Amino acid sequence: MNKHLQNICNLLQRDEGIAAEIKDLILKSLKDADKELTIAEFKLDRTEKVKRTTSILLEETIEELEHKSRAIEETNLALQKSLEELKSTQAQLIQSEKLASLGELTAGIAHEIQNPLNFVNNFAEVSAEMLEEMEEELDKGDTLEAKAIAADLKQNLSKINHHGQRASSIVKGMLEHSRASTGVKEPTDINALADEYLRLAYHGLRAKDNSFNATIETHFDPDLPLVSVIPQDIGRVLLNLINNAFYAVAERSRSTVQQRASVGVTSSHADTMYHPTVTVSTQKTGDHILIKVQDNGSGIPESIRDKIFQPFFTTKPTGQGTGLGLSLAYDIVVKGHGGSLEVVSKENKGSEFIINL
Amino acid sequence: MPCLYTFLSEINMKAKSIKGETPAAFKTALTDCLTDGFKPILAIVFMSIRQDRKAISEILKHQDIDLFGATSCGEFINGYQDEGAIVALLLDLNRNDYALLFEPFGDRSLPETADEIAQQAFKTYQDPALILCSTGVNSKGDFMDGEKLVNSLEVALGPNVTYYGGLAGDDMTFSGSYVFTHDKETDFGIATLVLNRDKVEVQGMAITGWKPMGISRKVTKSAGNLLYEIDGKPAIDMYLKYLGKVENKEDKTFDVISELSFNYPFIVKREDGETILKTPIKIDHQENALVIDMEMPEGTEFWFSIPPDFDIVEKIMEEATQLKSTSQTTADALLVFSCAGRSPALGPLVTLENDGLAEIWESPMAGFFTYGELGRGKTRKQYFHSGACCWVALTEK
Repeated sequence: MNKHLQNICNLLQRDEGIAAEIKDLILKSLKDADKELTIAEFKLDRTEKVKRTTSILLEETIEELEHKSRAIEETNLALQKSLEELKSTQAQLIQSEKLASLGELTAGIAHEIQNPLNFVNNFAEVSAEMLEEMEEELDKGDTLEAKAIAADLKQNLSKINHHGQRASSIVKGMLEHSRASTGVKEPTDINALADEYLRLAYHGLRAKDNSFNATIETHFDPDLPLVSVIPQDIGRVLLNLINNAFYAVAERSRSTVQQRASVGVTSSHADTMYHPTVTVSTQKTGDHILIKVQDNGSGIPESIRDKIFQPFFTTKPTGQGTGLGLSLAYDIVVKGHGGSLEVVSKENKGSEFIINL
Repeated sequence: MPCLYTFLSEINMKAKSIKGETPAAFKTALTDCLTDGFKPILAIVFMSIRQDRKAISEILKHQDIDLFGATSCGEFINGYQDEGAIVALLLDLNRNDYALLFEPFGDRSLPETADEIAQQAFKTYQDPALILCSTGVNSKGDFMDGEKLVNSLEVALGPNVTYYGGLAGDDMTFSGSYVFTHDKETDFGIATLVLNRDKVEVQGMAITGWKPMGISRKVTKSAGNLLYEIDGKPAIDMYLKYLGKVENKEDKTFDVISELSFNYPFIVKREDGETILKTPIKIDHQENALVIDMEMPEGTEFWFSIPPDFDIVEKIMEEATQLKSTSQTTADALLVFSCAGRSPALGPLVTLENDGLAEIWESPMAGFFTYGELGRGKTRKQYFHSGACCWVALTEK
């Protein structure tokens, strides 16, 4: 008992002047007071101790969190730096992807330019000869014949101009492909765009591998309206899909030849067994247009089908593909044009990429 | 010496609680409480390891009273709390309505022992309820894994059998705790009082009150009961530093349990979202690890804690009042299994807590400070607890 309360108890017990009942009541109250005092003292003492301990624990925790926070900030900075480096590297890779596709186009473009140039050269040579003939006729005084030759010359010049413009348009297309996208959508003839890139891609591949042959089929919807797209970007997508299609049929063609050769079937026989075919088609369905690029290559294995649109994923041998082609194509179609890019593929049957705009 | 505090139920089972600081005093208290014709059949005894268990057994045997007992870290009955004494709850329960099981583990595993208890219980009564005391620590200093015990009992008994109890103490000496009956005792086993629930209603609750503090932590290195690392840092350094006792790190005499962990155990999250307290009981300087009363496997999520608010006593009373009111029953007797850590953490409030429960149920009460508690929490799921006040009211139907 508290010593002061104990003193009161002692004094009380000694005092004979107080009635026993009253003493008992007072003693009970003193005991209750002592109990409450004990509890109050305990609460005060424990509160003080817990407060002190809690304060230390929280201070230590705060210091630890601050330390962690600083570490996280440092990590964040390092990550930010890495991210910037990654972005820069990705930008370089995207540029190299463009250059790579441009490289693939070069042979096709050369082939395409060669045709109009041949015309220009031929018509120029013929025109030179015709001018000589015209001079001769004029010398002879046969102005009628000279005028007839002049009329033919005029036609030749018109053809030279036409083929010159064709070459110019190819060069323009090439420049557009290599330039950064303007980001401006403009009414575009998708059939013409697809046809142009199909031919460029085919001749490009042929220039690199003249043993390669493939049947090209086109099913262009004649009722296709002009579609508002960024032509450079959609051209890039088409080129990538068509190149992939040619790559797929070329690979299958090669492996078929190898397989046949290994079992003693001649190459010419093998060729008759597999007909590499790439089909490009367009179709208007309601408010949408579909552009399909189909090949009868080996198809895409199920296990990697959900990875093909991921950046840097490629099945091509190291150095032959950046792994960005389909990823960029997906971004252009989905993010840039609000469309969809899907693939349907069956192993040993081929693949079909469908752009829905 | 007379019974310090007795209640006599008017109807149903009669019960009285008695205490004694010595076997002789206990004998006197027993004799005194029989003078009114009270004829107890069963004594539930909690006593210090310092007391003579054999002597107590003889005293009870002499009166033809069965014995179910456990050693303690402090004992209490209505209005009395002590350390080093003997307390008993005396019941005149019909011998047909209870059975005593005594199962030393020997070479058996916990699940095997739990299976044996379950088989015996179901063989004796169709609808049994158990009061179960297990040893808390054996003479080698090995702690009973209460979680495994409850898990084994859950498997053996099924989820519907109600049981309450505690892990026997040893006055905080960690030298060996005991459960005992008249002729048997062990420092590594379980004593079970199987009640016929068709005749005896058993209802209770376990509440702790410790609260998490600070951020959640993770065990990053541990083995068995040894906790080496918390969040990749040495566990001893962290525990002592964060609780303001870093200067005691090298002090081999530093008593971590009384100085710190009674008040600041860890709160561990169970898989079902409930929590359990796990307490560092000493420092293993050789291993540079905290010795925890239960295993804390690597990956365990936990918090530092703060002791219960002072209003925990009122909360426990409220819950008990509510349960009493909902069940619309009275109690003939009350047992309280209170964690040994509650006394230092709650001081005189723990007495208010125990006495308050007895007042709510208006019944004789006996209890002891344990090394762990078994009982249903507020969610009514059976758990092993630490730091809890676990009470159980017995009512003869």
